[in-house]
Amino acid sequence: MDIFLQQLANGLTIGSMFALVALGYTMVYGVMKLINFAHGDMVAASAFVGLTIYTQVMGQATSLPAVIIIFLLSALAMACIGVILERIAYRPLRTAPRLSAVVSALGASLVIQNGIMLIWGPRMRIFPELVPQIYWDFGGVVISLIQVIILVLSLVLMVTLYLFVEKTRMGAAIRAASIDQDAARLMGINVNSIIALIFIIGSSLGAVGGLFIGLYYRGITFNMGWQYGLYAFIAAIIGGIGNIPGAMLGGMLLGLFNAFIAGYISSTWSDAFTFILLIVILIVRPTGILGERVAEKV
Amino acid sequence: MEKLKRFSLPGFILVMAVLPHLLDSSWQEVAITFLVFSVVALSQDIILGKSGMFHMGQGLFFGMGAYATAILNNEFGWPILATIPVAILVPALIGILLAGPIVHLRGDYLLVVTIGFNIVFVQVLQNNLGGVTGGPNGIFGLDSLSLLGVELMSQLSVYYFAFAVLLLTFWVMRNLEGSKAGRALHYLREDQLAAESIGINTRVYKIFAFGLGAGLAGLAGTVFAVQYSAVSPEAFDFIQSVLFFSIVIVGGSSIPGVLLGVFVMFVVPEIFREFATWRYFIFGLAMIAAMILRPRGIVPATFGKIPKFLIKGGGHGA
Repeated sequence: MDIFLQQLANGLTIGSMFALVALGYTMVYGVMKLINFAHGDMVAASAFVGLTIYTQVMGQATSLPAVIIIFLLSALAMACIGVILERIAYRPLRTAPRLSAVVSALGASLVIQNGIMLIWGPRMRIFPELVPQIYWDFGGVVISLIQVIILVLSLVLMVTLYLFVEKTRMGAAIRAASIDQDAARLMGINVNSIIALIFIIGSSLGAVGGLFIGLYYRGITFNMGWQYGLYAFIAAIIGGIGNIPGAMLGGMLLGLFNAFIAGYISSTWSDAFTFILLIVILIVRPTGILGERVAEKV
Repeated sequence: MEKLKRFSLPGFILVMAVLPHLLDSSWQEVAITFLVFSVVALSQDIILGKSGMFHMGQGLFFGMGAYATAILNNEFGWPILATIPVAILVPALIGILLAGPIVHLRGDYLLVVTIGFNIVFVQVLQNNLGGVTGGPNGIFGLDSLSLLGVELMSQLSVYYFAFAVLLLTFWVMRNLEGSKAGRALHYLREDQLAAESIGINTRVYKIFAFGLGAGLAGLAGTVFAVQYSAVSPEAFDFIQSVLFFSIVIVGGSSIPGVLLGVFVMFVVPEIFREFATWRYFIFGLAMIAAMILRPRGIVPATFGKIPKFLIKGGGHGA
């Protein structure tokens, strides 16, 4: 029972990080029908940017306002990179064959990943201890302050995003653009600004996810974006790609799944089990858990 | 221009046939790598370019062939040439078995599942399943090539082995284009629904393409294992599959385009060694630029002998 509760806590923590990153994938996919392979690398870049802001700009301060500024500046930096990325690498290819855009996304991923390596070096860096190491022991189940912060902050961000997309005019424009771009354009929606907005939101959520990964795992490497990005993308598919609550649900489920695999079986096989889960879900329910049952063949 | 095109392939073959005699041993090594990776990229092209299936796990089949040769030679003492049929058949059969349940998946879903196959394969190798893959270090100390009891130690013989495999691949690709299967694949790539409606069993042909591409990649794996006399998991990593995928699309899914892509991706870095750390950064930029400037690839593929004015738009499907 202890293992179960412990892995439940760990799984929810990992899951909320997956979910934050998955939102970036699912929103871009929803509107552009493109796997933004560079998103995972932007998550990694955010952790490095956060590290540099901490050492160079904030003078290694760990007070609450300093930490908030680190988060805001990193998110801002990634939002800018996201918009530039879309403008340069994706917009010229919107009418091109699908595979051309996929290769452009892969190229963008290589550029960001190796840009990190050229700036910060190929070796693992240690992320600063921005949050004090406080642990609570509930009869064998240990929960850290970091875990609580990650979970609560992720939930707040996700609920805010959900309300924004469902309850505001701009959110309605996003939904319209993801259902039918041409019809949205006819209704007077500026699809280019909607896509830019999606990259701003997705990239800044991914940036927060990247800082959480740094806080939780401590060691950050230039190529970690592939790993977390792929998992987050799988989470988005499991939840139903293009579906915002689906990405949140998928992230949480995948986090829990991974934590229980690590707890009960072995973490050396986690990739294999994750992909088996993905394949089973694609066979049983191809549009994901919350995905609409559309006529489009999957 | 037409004349140039007609003589370019025999010319290329002629140059490649005499090339190793003009190179020193370290450049011969690079030339062998070029030949092997050309075969893998062309086998990827059968699945991705010719059949239009978003397949990003060619490292799986390449690695399976290499490991089949390495395990049979190292554990069971088979001569290298005797392992070739197994190195072709095992990846081909696995390719068919894996493709069966997934070929109906739409583009991006297929992409992610094939990435998954590749990652699971590398994890299996690293975790040393069954105790025969040698774990993260792989298997080393393979025998050299031998023919009729004569040991062919020299690098030159490995080169001509690789060259023969590339010629075989050319032959397969040419026959595929003219065959019923090739026409069916071309049709289903352009418009799957239309292909089905005139009675083409798209599922069978898609699985066939997977089997064929996997078998050729497996054969390239044998050459790779012989070249280094060793195999290790990272050579078949997912990033390798990404490179092969990109080479086919950037090259435009034609033989000259794919060969050019392999040359730029694997030979040019050997020329500019001092920029090694910049390698992937520059490739990434080049991939974006190539796709923006030529969305259908550097040398777009043509099909059959259809005159240009009859082709509307043309190029890849999807």
